[in-house]
Amino acid sequence: MKNRITDLRADRGWTQADLAQRAGVSRQTINAIETGKFDPSLPLAFRLARLFDRKIEELFLDDQ
Amino acid sequence: MQALNEMKGTARLALWTGAWTASVALATFGPRHLWDLEQPVASWAAVALNLAVGVGWIIAITRYLRVIDELQRKIMLDALAVTLGVGWVVGFAYVVADAADLVANEGTDGIAALTGLMGVVFMIAFFVGRIRYR
Repeated sequence: MKNRITDLRADRGWTQADLAQRAGVSRQTINAIETGKFDPSLPLAFRLARLFDRKIEELFLDDQ
Repeated sequence: MQALNEMKGTARLALWTGAWTASVALATFGPRHLWDLEQPVASWAAVALNLAVGVGWIIAITRYLRVIDELQRKIMLDALAVTLGVGWVVGFAYVVADAADLVANEGTDGIAALTGLMGVVFMIAFFVGRIRYR
């Protein structure tokens, strides 16, 4: 699933490690989500949306 | 906080894994090197200890799965699934071969080899998962 996390994270000047710490996951998880290798669970997707002050559908794009 | 919990969980799991391995060694080599084979009470105590520590190890694994984050959990569960599949298939192949009198070595050699194989398969599957999601 495509997402805009890399861009939104860069806008805030956060590293992957910064975002991982705020979201309560590992840096590897953030990297895997950003590269589209791993789709997060709904709770984590909501957490990420809250961190970026966006709706989930603004973060994750349906690529089907 | 998450990282600290994961580190604690990893350390706890490593301790239980070490304890289980030590209890297997005690139950396996104890009857020959630490006490006489004619002392079944000591041997049964070692087997009971091995089972008890094994239960603790299983609990430690399930708790560890709850502590780690969702990607790590997926990598771990994928590796465990591959390990279970290999153990199941190879284990049944061994049983079938043994029933057909194709197995030369009787006794615990086959079981020891199977558990060793499962350990190696788990480590390979785990590291493949880590690399896949790197």
